[in-house]
Amino acid sequence: MIALYVALLVGAILFGIGLYGALSQTNLVMIMMGVEVMLGGALVNLVAFWRFLSPENYSGQTFFLIVMTVMALDMAVGFGVGTARFRAKGSVESEEAGELKG
Amino acid sequence: MGLFGLAAIWFAVVVFRTASMVRSALALLFSQAALGAMFLAMQAEFLGVLQIMMMGTEMAIMAIFMVMFMMDPGGLSGMEMTHQKRVSVIAGVVAAFGALGVAFLAGWGPVVEAAPSPREQLVGLGLDLMERSMIIFEATGVTILTAMIAATAVAVAARGITKRKEERG
Repeated sequence: MIALYVALLVGAILFGIGLYGALSQTNLVMIMMGVEVMLGGALVNLVAFWRFLSPENYSGQTFFLIVMTVMALDMAVGFGVGTARFRAKGSVESEEAGELKG
Repeated sequence: MGLFGLAAIWFAVVVFRTASMVRSALALLFSQAALGAMFLAMQAEFLGVLQIMMMGTEMAIMAIFMVMFMMDPGGLSGMEMTHQKRVSVIAGVVAAFGALGVAFLAGWGPVVEAAPSPREQLVGLGLDLMERSMIIFEATGVTILTAMIAATAVAVAARGITKRKEERG
């Protein structure tokens, strides 16, 4: 039981650190790093729930693979947008992207 | 397991504390690798190895983009790269405590001590992907293809802007 709580504790702290990073950083690459840390926290929870609560049901592992895909896609699309922004304005700083506000 | 978890948290903190962006990328790599080691300690062998291999590649690519895009990748000029710090700290702490509250107050039921063997896990995951979760698996594949095309299209479309800028001098 303690191992499950340790994993959930690590997942929660990582999620908090990632959210702090995603909100506080001004550079697109650093914001994406924050999102990666948050998704890392989610992965810990998924593995812990699969391992300690229902190891005979592999949906947890499938869910893990999907979250990992989301991590890779977030990087790919983020860098695509970053490249476009850098070519247009010479910077990927969120502070300088005020014209994107709705 | 707790040791790897502690390492993952420590390196995640270092990601946002260091001035050098290359160090940030390395710290994120170590944090994600520590998570992979944590998965191995939880006897999820395939997921642990996958995490370490995938994150190694991902962070190497991220480090290259950082050097390309950042104004001060080495952190030598001491530029301030943060904003709304107070709100971010509050949001992070509230989110972490909210998740901890759910983790410790929810009744999770009995814990299973024995994990399936690595071979059983691989067979089980393969069967789950090819039977019960087939549509999800296929949808994920199509999503990857769409994202690849979209990311390339967005990056290539902006090439014209650079060209026009160069022509104008």
